[in-house]
Amino acid sequence: MEHKKLPPPPLPRICIISSGEAYADKGVLLLEQLKLLPADIPCIVQIREKHLDTRHILTLAMKAREIKLPEGSLLLCNERADVALAAAFDGVHLPENACHPDKLRIFAPNLIFGCSIHSPAALHVAEQSGADYLLFGPVFDTPSKRKYGPPQGLKKLGELCRASSLPIYALGGVTPHNAALCMDEGAYGTAGLSIFRDSVRLPDILEQFHRILYP
Amino acid sequence: MIPSSPFLCVITDEAFCPVALAEEALKGGAAMIQLRHKTASGHQLFTWAVEIRKRCREHHALCIINDRVDIALASEADGVHLGQDDLPAAAARKMLGNTSIIGVSASSVEEAVQAEKDGADYIGFGHIYPTVSKLKEHPPLGLENLQKAVEAISLPVVAIGGINVENAPLLISHGASGVAVISAVSRAKEPSMAAHEILCAIKTTMR
Repeated sequence: MEHKKLPPPPLPRICIISSGEAYADKGVLLLEQLKLLPADIPCIVQIREKHLDTRHILTLAMKAREIKLPEGSLLLCNERADVALAAAFDGVHLPENACHPDKLRIFAPNLIFGCSIHSPAALHVAEQSGADYLLFGPVFDTPSKRKYGPPQGLKKLGELCRASSLPIYALGGVTPHNAALCMDEGAYGTAGLSIFRDSVRLPDILEQFHRILYP
Repeated sequence: MIPSSPFLCVITDEAFCPVALAEEALKGGAAMIQLRHKTASGHQLFTWAVEIRKRCREHHALCIINDRVDIALASEADGVHLGQDDLPAAAARKMLGNTSIIGVSASSVEEAVQAEKDGADYIGFGHIYPTVSKLKEHPPLGLENLQKAVEAISLPVVAIGGINVENAPLLISHGASGVAVISAVSRAKEPSMAAHEILCAIKTTMR
C-alpha cells in the first residue's frame, strides 16, 4: 500500500534566538529557557553561540535535543549543517555570508534552511538557492545592532515581504507592542534574542506574542 | 586514500589567499592541501574549497577541510581534519561515509590512540617543534613522542609544528608518514620552491 507523504507542518511564527552567552554559563540559560516554553506555543529555537567551539556547540545541541519542546517546535543551529545533522536537529539558520542552502541540501535533504537577509539582493540569492524561510532585520532600534547604523524600518520589511512568497520573520527590537505592525507589513512571524532573555517573564512574553501572531 | 609515504601536507595560512597558496604548494609537489581558515565566512570557505579541490584533482592531491564537515561535504572535498575541539571523528564519519578521509589532531600518545579508536584515517601529531603559526598550550612534543605515537598506533602519522627543510627528514626517520607545514611554505620567498625542497628532503630519507 502506498503512503502519501504528509505535507510538512507549518513553521512556528515565533523564533527564539539564543543569547550567545553559553560560553560563559555553559548553556544554562538556554536550556532553562527551553524548559519554560509553554506547551501550546510552538517555537523555532535557533542556537547561535558564536563563541563556542564546534565540540561544545554539539554538546549543547545534544542537551537541547533531549528537552521536550512544545508540539510543532523546531530546533535549529546557526550556520553549521554538520552540527545540525550530528545533533539530529530540524534545521540550520544561515547568516547572509554563509554557504548557500542548495549546496547544503545535497547532503542534508531533510533539514530546514533559513537565511538572514538585509537587502533585496540577498533576498533574491536566498530564494534562488532554496531557502525555506527568511529572517530580516533589524526592523526596530535594538542596542546590540546600533553599531551597524539605524534600523531598517517597517517600510523596507513590507517591501521585502511583498517581493517574496517565502515566510519572513521580523527581527530586531520586536516586542508584543509592535509585533502587529510587522504582521501588517506581511511578516510571517517575529524573532528575537533579548526579549526572551528574562526567564521569569519568558512564558508571559510568549503568550503575548502568541495572541498577536496567531489571531 | 592517504598519499604514499613520505608526503607533504601544506596547510593554508590566514595571511594569504588560500587558493593561490594551494596552487604554489601543488606545483611544489604537496600531496595534501588542508584549507584552514577560522575567520572566513561560510560562503567564502565554500568558494575556496571548490577552487582548491579542483586544483588538487588536477595534481592527484587531496583537498582536506579543517573543522567544517559541512563545507567538506558541500564542496566535495576529499575529507576533513578535526581538532580536539571540533566534531568527534565518529560523528563526522556518519556524515562523510567510508570513502572520505578523516584526520584528527593529537598532542599526546593517548589522544593518538583514542583517535585511532574513533575511526580516524590519519593522525596529525604535534606540535613537534616550537612554532609561531599557532598559540600553543603545551611544550613541543619532540621526536621521542613522535616515535612513541608511531609505535602506539597503526595509522599514518603526519608530523606538524615548526617543521622546515632542515628538520623534516628527522621526522620521517622517526616514523612519520608525512609532514605538515604552514609558514615553511607560505612565508617562503618562493612557496612552490620551498614545498619542492621539503619534498625532496623527505623523499631521500630512509624510514
